[in-house]
Amino acid sequence: MSTVTPDVAALARTLDDAALRARAVPRLTDTADLDVEAGYAVQRALVERRLARGERMAGIKLGFTSKAKMRQMGVDDLIWGRLTDAMRFPDGATVRLDRFVHPRIEPEIAFLLGRPLTGDISGEEAVAAVTAVAPAYEIIDSRYEGFRFSLPDVVADNSSSSGFGVGPWRDVRSFDLVTGLAHLGMTLEVDGRAVETGSSAAILGHPLRSITAAARLAADAGLVLEKGWVVLAGAATAAVPLEAGRHVRVNAGRLGSVDITTEEEQGR
Amino acid sequence: MTAENTRTDAVRAAADRLARAHADGVPVEPVRDLVTDVDAAYRVQDRLTHRWLGEGRRLVGRKIGLTSTAVQRQLGVDSPDFGMLFADMAVPDGAEIPAGAVLQPKAEAEIALVLGSDLTHERHTVADLFRAVAYVVPAIEVVGSRIRDWDITLADTVADNASCGLYVLGATPTPLERAGDLRTAGMIMDRRGDQVSTGTGAACLGHPLNAALWLADTLVRLGRPLLAGDTVLTGALGPMVPVTAGDVLEAHIEGLGSVRAAFAWEES
Repeated sequence: MSTVTPDVAALARTLDDAALRARAVPRLTDTADLDVEAGYAVQRALVERRLARGERMAGIKLGFTSKAKMRQMGVDDLIWGRLTDAMRFPDGATVRLDRFVHPRIEPEIAFLLGRPLTGDISGEEAVAAVTAVAPAYEIIDSRYEGFRFSLPDVVADNSSSSGFGVGPWRDVRSFDLVTGLAHLGMTLEVDGRAVETGSSAAILGHPLRSITAAARLAADAGLVLEKGWVVLAGAATAAVPLEAGRHVRVNAGRLGSVDITTEEEQGR
Repeated sequence: MTAENTRTDAVRAAADRLARAHADGVPVEPVRDLVTDVDAAYRVQDRLTHRWLGEGRRLVGRKIGLTSTAVQRQLGVDSPDFGMLFADMAVPDGAEIPAGAVLQPKAEAEIALVLGSDLTHERHTVADLFRAVAYVVPAIEVVGSRIRDWDITLADTVADNASCGLYVLGATPTPLERAGDLRTAGMIMDRRGDQVSTGTGAACLGHPLNAALWLADTLVRLGRPLLAGDTVLTGALGPMVPVTAGDVLEAHIEGLGSVRAAFAWEES
């Protein structure tokens, strides 16, 4: 067993460069002795490089929020990643794909926090902290070759998070979080056709549980979820490849919808 | 040969020409060389209706056309027109419409009425409609022309079943008393995130029920009144949109919900 302490700063630079150049790199664990804790240290260093370039924290995302996905990955806890303002696309945005390596998109529920949260909080505190809810999507894009990685790898890579978009916010005074999100039908539509369908219940049994989970995970990392941050609760369906020249819509029934269009490939 | 016989022959010839286009799926020349006035054009339509009923098609309602002042001006008329809806023209919400099912297709969003009782008075009132209308439903009419290049006059379109192709009804029937104000109801139709048509209920003769009144009275006069169970497509709420293979159009009408027309890709 190797006792070499991983060079967190160097690994963060490797992943940062990979993202900036939209080029995949080999898995860090191929050459470095990285556990999950060290993976999070790399993630922190990676995002700090971006904050130093002027990006600002905008929220937190949770991953592996379905039992099926956890089993598939052989893990028993969630992973999380950091969202910055530079990752956010306006609703209805048209985006170029050349900033990504091999992007995928998945339908999510987003929460807006009205007060800071950290540590072990009750379900009641979680509900009270949310001021609005919206349909959302996340673009995940592993910086690793073949979109293949071990758990420490994906954690270091900011849990594959690469972009997100949020639809119109519904104030919690006009949308009951508990009953409204219990089993909200969600479809991911590409060019008007549903390609993935699921239920909000696929997100931890109920998307609200993401708030307590996020507060706990943030506290473990010495982080406070700030007022005004977005919590991306997790995916309601499997992710689908995001291809050029497509229109993608997350349709969350009564909650509304959010759209993104991808530019045609250059030179076509 | 008498003038009457000549006119009958012309009506028969026009009906034969349009029936051929319908059967072969190939557009034909206009019929205005055979029929020029509206009465003769309706006789052509009626002849086609008899022919199709004889072939086993089931009459399930009517469409109203030329309900916007802009379109009326364009064709130099001051009255709407109507065509027949047969059961084989009804497409369920979102079901794939095969390529070539409609010749030269265009789509328009409309408010559809489903009748709960007959409308057999010589002259109807809006109050009669209140009692007769069971449901209000968002709809997309796929208009098509069996006449080459949509080269139509009023006589051509009336003879050609008012250029009706297929129609899609939304699957959310709303009782009239809960449908809200149909005059101010907003309509948007979108394709891949682009709004391709927008309008309001008032675009249809000032109010969709006005169009239905005109139809009910007209059909009694012509001896084939609207009956319980009939569907009435009241007329476009916004500009019609050309359709290409693979398109998915989704129309939302305020207070009524949404409806989708999904066009198959060309067979390769």
